[in-house]
Amino acid sequence: MKTAQNFGLMYMLLAIIQILICNYCQFSPLLVLSVLPVMILCLPLSVGTIPAMLIAFATGLAVDWLSEGLLGLNALSLVPVAAVRKPIMQLFFGKDLIDRKDSLSFRKNGFGKISAAILTFHAIFLAIYITADGAGMRPFWFNLARFGISEASGYLISVIVASSLIPDDKK
Amino acid sequence: MFRKGNIIIFIVNAAIFILLEVAAFVMLRNNGQMQDIWISRGVHSFMANVWGCTENIRHYFSLKKENDALAERIYRQEQTIRKYREITGKDFAEDSIPETVGNFRYIPASVAKTGRNSQHNYLIISKGSKDGIVKMSGIITEKGVLGIIDAVGKNYSYGRSFRNSDMTISARIGHEGAVGAISWDGLSSNGAILREVPQHILLHAGDTVYTSGFSSIFPPDIPLGIIGEYKVENGATYEIKVELFEDFSSIRYVTVVNNVSTEEISELENR
Repeated sequence: MKTAQNFGLMYMLLAIIQILICNYCQFSPLLVLSVLPVMILCLPLSVGTIPAMLIAFATGLAVDWLSEGLLGLNALSLVPVAAVRKPIMQLFFGKDLIDRKDSLSFRKNGFGKISAAILTFHAIFLAIYITADGAGMRPFWFNLARFGISEASGYLISVIVASSLIPDDKK
Repeated sequence: MFRKGNIIIFIVNAAIFILLEVAAFVMLRNNGQMQDIWISRGVHSFMANVWGCTENIRHYFSLKKENDALAERIYRQEQTIRKYREITGKDFAEDSIPETVGNFRYIPASVAKTGRNSQHNYLIISKGSKDGIVKMSGIITEKGVLGIIDAVGKNYSYGRSFRNSDMTISARIGHEGAVGAISWDGLSSNGAILREVPQHILLHAGDTVYTSGFSSIFPPDIPLGIIGEYKVENGATYEIKVELFEDFSSIRYVTVVNNVSTEEISELENR
């Protein structure tokens, strides 16, 4: 119970950090810094797909609402991440983890697999975010460069966020 | 193997996913001008594909009827050519059919979609600017007038249907009779009202109404329908019910016609 409460508080804190990032950390038009995908990845596996999608929608909407961005953009990009969360986790960590509703752990699941999952989640999020943000007006090379830069920088932040959200590794 | 429970869960997940994404799209559309254009373009493109598919399916199942109608039309046109050949003594080579006859250019087209459930009906024609369609061209068949092109895209054109409460066409009773203005009656699929025909004109139920050719949009002598009941309106002119030849509910092939002298006529009018 305490773990769940801690996770909830941590989740809300990270959402606030994301709002601050959106408002004050716009270094370049080529860079989209987001910790939202990894927050969805780290949701406990006892949370089903529908609640995960609703959480993703609410989180995305809250970030959109309280930051200077377009309302609906983060929500639009984050819901698909939540929708494919379990299949992707099953792909990287196996069916056992899903069936046992076990927690993610760097120690048990390995840094490589978690990194791959983070990159995949982040790639899905960014692909939708950059496409919708560009609205077909920006050249392909720009979107590609934006995707590459954002994926690389987002991965680094996401690893830090994951290590704070995954409960086993804090002990 | 999917179990029944899994399928239901999958459907519910998919439904909620679609619902949330649609909500996000709506918000995005309302908040970003670029996104609004992008989403609208995507939606229109999707709708055009859906229309195309459904119309193709519908047309496939009406092919026999279409073929019979086309065969009948070809027969009648061949007979007309034979008649002209006999009168003029000239041969009409089939490989030299001109697109322009007189002042009018004729472009064959097919109907991609028709709106026929309101007072403001429309037609989407599967030819656009790249095929030479221009704004304010007429849409006709051999059985009558269908509408006027209002907007032209690259591949498709949007036409206002004759079945619009505010559309009026100049019409003539017989080939040389009185001229009036014909418009849709707003009720039936093949009913129209011919107005502004002077009271002294002798009318006969069953007479054919043709386009007058007084507008620069439609060529003269396209049969429109036959006269039905009539009454005197305002004590001066007739209000004549016309039963149209064209059945608007089963239009497939049309001809787009545009007056090649429109610019010259407009210039003269503006002097």
